Amino acid sequence: MRLRLMVPSVALLLALGLFLGWPGGGVAQQKVLKIGVSFPITGADADSADAMLKGIQMAVEEVNQKGGAGGYTFEAVVFDSATPAAGQYDPAQAATNYKKFIADNLVVAAVGPIMSGEGKAISPILSEADMATVTPSSTNPDITDPKFKDQYRPKGKAVYFRNVTTDAYQGPNMANHAFHKLKVKSVYVVDDGGAFGVGIADSFTRRAKELGIKVLGRDQLNPKEADYKTILTKVKGMNPDALYYGGVQQAAVKLARQAYEIMPKVHKLGSDGIYDLSFPEQAGKEAAEGWWASNASPDMLDDPKAQEWINKYKSKFKRDPTNYAITSYNGVFVIADAVSRVAKTGKPVTRAAVREALEKTDLKGTLQGPISYDANGDIKTKTVALYQVKDGKFKYVGVAPEK
Amino acid sequence: MTLFEILLQQVVNGLALGLMYALLALGFTMVYGIIELINFAHFSVFMTGTFVGLTILNLMGFTGSSKAITGLPLVVTLVFVFALTMLATGVLGVLIERLCLRPMRGVSGTAPMITTIGVAFILINLVLMIWGPQTQPFPEIIPDQRWAIGQAEVTFRQVLLAVAGLALMVGLNYLVQRTALGKAMRATAQDADAAQMMGVDVDRIILLTFFLGSALAGAGSLFFGFYYGFTGFYIGYTTGLRAFTSAVLGGIGNIPGAVLGAIIIGLVQSLGGQLLEVRWTDVIIFSILITVLVFRPTGLFGIQTPQKA
Repeated sequence: MRLRLMVPSVALLLALGLFLGWPGGGVAQQKVLKIGVSFPITGADADSADAMLKGIQMAVEEVNQKGGAGGYTFEAVVFDSATPAAGQYDPAQAATNYKKFIADNLVVAAVGPIMSGEGKAISPILSEADMATVTPSSTNPDITDPKFKDQYRPKGKAVYFRNVTTDAYQGPNMANHAFHKLKVKSVYVVDDGGAFGVGIADSFTRRAKELGIKVLGRDQLNPKEADYKTILTKVKGMNPDALYYGGVQQAAVKLARQAYEIMPKVHKLGSDGIYDLSFPEQAGKEAAEGWWASNASPDMLDDPKAQEWINKYKSKFKRDPTNYAITSYNGVFVIADAVSRVAKTGKPVTRAAVREALEKTDLKGTLQGPISYDANGDIKTKTVALYQVKDGKFKYVGVAPEK
Repeated sequence: MTLFEILLQQVVNGLALGLMYALLALGFTMVYGIIELINFAHFSVFMTGTFVGLTILNLMGFTGSSKAITGLPLVVTLVFVFALTMLATGVLGVLIERLCLRPMRGVSGTAPMITTIGVAFILINLVLMIWGPQTQPFPEIIPDQRWAIGQAEVTFRQVLLAVAGLALMVGLNYLVQRTALGKAMRATAQDADAAQMMGVDVDRIILLTFFLGSALAGAGSLFFGFYYGFTGFYIGYTTGLRAFTSAVLGGIGNIPGAVLGAIIIGLVQSLGGQLLEVRWTDVIIFSILITVLVFRPTGLFGIQTPQKA
């Protein structure tokens, strides 16, 4: 009796498994495609993640209003990649989220991740699944570097497409700025122990040494530690011209606050990891004043061409956008463009086909300029913009010098 | 800055840090002294205290961007905020004891300790639900007054922390050593059954111990908030682990030992960061702990636990 019931149910399960497990299975029959979004929407970086998430929301609505792309409309599936235990992004959670995207046959591609630490965890998973992701802000160069191919894309094909340039430009260009414009002769470098923080602090340090800036030392902050007075007192004793911080918000706000107390006059340099509109408020207005931040995309917020978009965003969401809200917005359009090119050829719209089409992306006239990728998935535009906190707000200063 | 001035500055920083750990280690060691329970919920009580204090300050009209205040308004505000926060965390401690730990009393093994870990997570998640996961700026109402010693400096916040912290500790010592209530606490710690027979209301004494320990953690919360100018739901863990180490280092259950242990940990943290690198802080601290436990399992100043005949 029990056996008789079991045989057909096992057969049914197997059949279902086969159907679901077929690469790109039922995709072609559906009219809706999903875009996976895994962002740290809670935790220390919640505000910048929120700005970017809203960029995606806006793009998905706009694409759908125009009737979609290649006969499909889109839907964003959003997962949080921050965990309470980490208090910020958690690479293990990001990996779990991407495995869920891969398990869902309707997900054709993803926009994300925000953090390079997440990127290092998910890139090999994407490579195995032959699915692409378009990152609006992850800048660690190793992930797309062919040198580390075996580690981050064992199947060889580019799966990690970036709408921002990498820290191979972001870190060094800040060093150039410090040397040429700020006349910095000596610097102390700290990072927050994350993949992004360590990487950008390394690339800044290398360039600083080439330029002849004296690097007085290098240390690592525990982002969950409250007390940075010890390290700051030590740095103050060395009397540097500048302090460079590689890392994201959780350590940054405490570092800024305590650095203001201990060494208010030193130049403080950061990266896009501190470019978060809530940074001045969280660190304290006086403490945040004067901090420099680089940004791995051109400035768009002061660009007259972008004002219409910005006003629409502001009135829709009642908040200010960031540059990476625009790179996120463009991420959706890049995917929609790839889907419509695949559909035009008459081939089924599968993940693999979309990934392949993304390689040949050539979008002109977006708010960030032309978008096209090299063989590794890196964007061809290498502009790094510079910001400084003035009167409690990040103000655009100019393009960071490339030499 | 000369090396001497830098080291002097690190000693000042380390002492301030140590006093903060001491306020936390005290509540921990008191509870252990009286019922031999390692209360991991204590650090979540401390963390919750920072948010309670922050909310009280916000309700009084102070926000992250408020200017410092001076004179009588500062004193009145501080006394008011400290009293309310300590009361709130004290009551929280009492609730934890009454609801979660009293039913476990008499259960042998690690079950009560595991319960406190559970309570710690419940509190963390409650704070996450109510106040969210962002780092919150703490109103800096205490003026940033500084005094120079050569190129090193002592801040008003550090002095306030030292004076108020030491006053609380002396007060606690007086209470435990010189009052009838303290005598009852010590009697309960030595032998709860005998104390009960002599007419001590043991349940009430244990509740009071939780109240006092948690109220001290509440004071520690405010010192933390004013000193570092922020709070977040995750601060209990790192700070708490160091305070726990202080208590063990000083000999668990030993009140003066906990204070000395905390000051040692504070100094090790600041001088270790200066002489080596801050990334090694935890390695140094826990190496010391392991060394002490191997060669002197009772801690530096001796465990004070109930003496079983």
